[in-house]
Amino acid sequence: MSNPESTTKPLQRRKVIQAAAGASLLQLATPFIIPARAADNVKIGLDNPLTGTYAAVGKNELIGCQLAIEQINAKGGINGRQAELLVEDSTSGDAGTAVQKARKLIERDKVDFLLGNVNSSLALAMAQVSAEKGVLHVVPGGHTDAVTGTSCHWNVFRICNTTQMEANAVTPSLIKNAGKKWYFITPDYSFGHTLQSGLEKACKANGGSTIGADLTPLGTTDFSSYLIKAQAAKPDVILFLTQGDDMINALKQAVQFGLDKRFHLAGGQQELEALEGLPPDARIGTWVFEWYWNQPGVPHVAEFVADIKKKTGRVPTARTWFGFASTWTCALAANNAKSLDAVKMAKALQGLKLPPEVALMPDGAFFREGQNQLIPDLYVGHAQAKGISEDDLFKVTEVVKGADIAGTLAETGCKMTWPS
Amino acid sequence: MTQLLLFNVFNGLIVGAFYALMALGLSLILNLSGVINFAHGGFLAIGAYLAYALMPTIGFWGALIVAPFLTALLGLVVERVLIRRLYGRDPLYSLLLTFGLAYILEDGTRYIWGAQSLPFPIPAWLTTPLSSEFFFLTGYRLFMVLLVAIAVGGLFLILNRTRLGIRIRAGTLDLETVSVLGVNIGVLRNLNFGLGIYLAGLAGVLAAGMLGLQPTIGTSLIMPSFVAIIVGGLGSLPGTLLGGLLIGVASGVTTVFFPSATEAVMYVMMGLVLLVRPRGLLGEEGRTQ
Repeated sequence: MSNPESTTKPLQRRKVIQAAAGASLLQLATPFIIPARAADNVKIGLDNPLTGTYAAVGKNELIGCQLAIEQINAKGGINGRQAELLVEDSTSGDAGTAVQKARKLIERDKVDFLLGNVNSSLALAMAQVSAEKGVLHVVPGGHTDAVTGTSCHWNVFRICNTTQMEANAVTPSLIKNAGKKWYFITPDYSFGHTLQSGLEKACKANGGSTIGADLTPLGTTDFSSYLIKAQAAKPDVILFLTQGDDMINALKQAVQFGLDKRFHLAGGQQELEALEGLPPDARIGTWVFEWYWNQPGVPHVAEFVADIKKKTGRVPTARTWFGFASTWTCALAANNAKSLDAVKMAKALQGLKLPPEVALMPDGAFFREGQNQLIPDLYVGHAQAKGISEDDLFKVTEVVKGADIAGTLAETGCKMTWPS
Repeated sequence: MTQLLLFNVFNGLIVGAFYALMALGLSLILNLSGVINFAHGGFLAIGAYLAYALMPTIGFWGALIVAPFLTALLGLVVERVLIRRLYGRDPLYSLLLTFGLAYILEDGTRYIWGAQSLPFPIPAWLTTPLSSEFFFLTGYRLFMVLLVAIAVGGLFLILNRTRLGIRIRAGTLDLETVSVLGVNIGVLRNLNFGLGIYLAGLAGVLAAGMLGLQPTIGTSLIMPSFVAIIVGGLGSLPGTLLGGLLIGVASGVTTVFFPSATEAVMYVMMGLVLLVRPRGLLGEEGRTQ
């Protein structure tokens, strides 16, 4: 007993189980840093994933925000004041953390604008907070319809498309290239649910049918059992609606199993981040991109690509553009309203067309009045192992105008009420 | 339907073998040192990324051999410098330490290699499915199972046939007596920790070949390993192996009936085992250390 090292306290089963419960927290909680800041700056608070399954896309949105802040300040700032970005890690899937960080940004840091979130469910939760506090909120990249649909708010604007818009844009090409019998591998949260129902609706309208669908928990690493089930149903197309690392794992395993030789593997939304994470032989299928860096002849795109490359050494992705356009939206709202009053700024954004150096698309992009949804171009095409360069992993075959596939305002279910 | 079930049972065994490999490493450390190593997933990620970094120079096979050893080396250092100080204290201390370490390792990989997922190339002849009917049996998955079997066999050989292994097993039963008999238990614990981390590193390289590289790769795989230990029975290495295989099969079979519950089913199993047989399937009564 004299040697303290030799006495191990008995380890109880209870401790191990408590520890296992604790381990699940590991995936949620995360610390982050707040840099020092000046008092009279206009503050934009970004509450977005920097850890977890959406860390890569979240970081790219952050880089887009940072470039926009530099440009805004170089062009005279927001109403003559310097703009400043405050960053918080919302985590990739914990709504509690996202809401807590949003409250911190609004109540303690007194931000003038709130940005976020990549995760649709987190975006919806944050929108509740921003609406309650009356802070202008731009959602860069959370796609579920409700954000600018049934749960729309006067103060919440969105840059990325609704899942229904993505579904409407890509479905005709999918039916034509891949076939009419669809099987879905869908992530089990709001984004996946609405993307699937959007695609099912569009599929039916184009004469196709759904013959099966499986919901997969967010963060699934092994998709083999779902794939076994999907191939047994003998569809024409297996659609992968998972995103981020889940997309990479699912598609990669499907190709390892040789399913690409028996079925069309495709989906709705695809992102450059996921294609970069895939081995070249798994870069296949018909998809929709929401923005793409290789747009020959579209003004200002080359400068934007060069600016981002200077910062990161890599080409911008749709996520970089989401962050960029979101931050610029804040500046445009304030400068057009000549005020930082949220209601005045929200009014100033109704119907606003983004200037070409922000829109970076052939047909431009505008915020639809009464919905606060940006209506941009969408890029339908197919993934490719390698194009004109290492970063050219998507071949755009068709640019779809957002206005043609956005549906009517009534269809979105958005009934906006303004504060009196 | 029967075919679907059969496929999923097979596939579950493959996946379960992998969970078991991770869980065995965790279990080794837990049994001898009483440390619940939360950082196990972090070490797994380190193993995977080290293999990625080494591959251009020494190839896949070289990386498969070298990376787990380097990871184990890091494990030895971590045990010597950090974990050793907490033996003999309440297990919560080492729990907190490894919890923090898990963050450091995960964010470390993110800092060095970036948040972006990276593809991890494996030899082409391993990637093809072996038959079009049993398409989920790719060469790589069989290779994984084979390697897990070799690793498990090797581990049991070490534990039963070598002096080190016998001392580890003896220490698991009664560390004080082993110490009194003149075994340097500091070294024993150190080597045992390294052995556990070696298994984590090996699991990391294998996982990278199947899943590619993400900084979160370890975090997402550690929970099933904990569940495997609890289901199989704390303190029993064969139990851990069984637990891993069982939860793999359970998840696979659940996909057929209720796909969105494939993860939940593991925890349901854990709950049931705790209610009906709290010591775990192969755990020994009255010995919880």
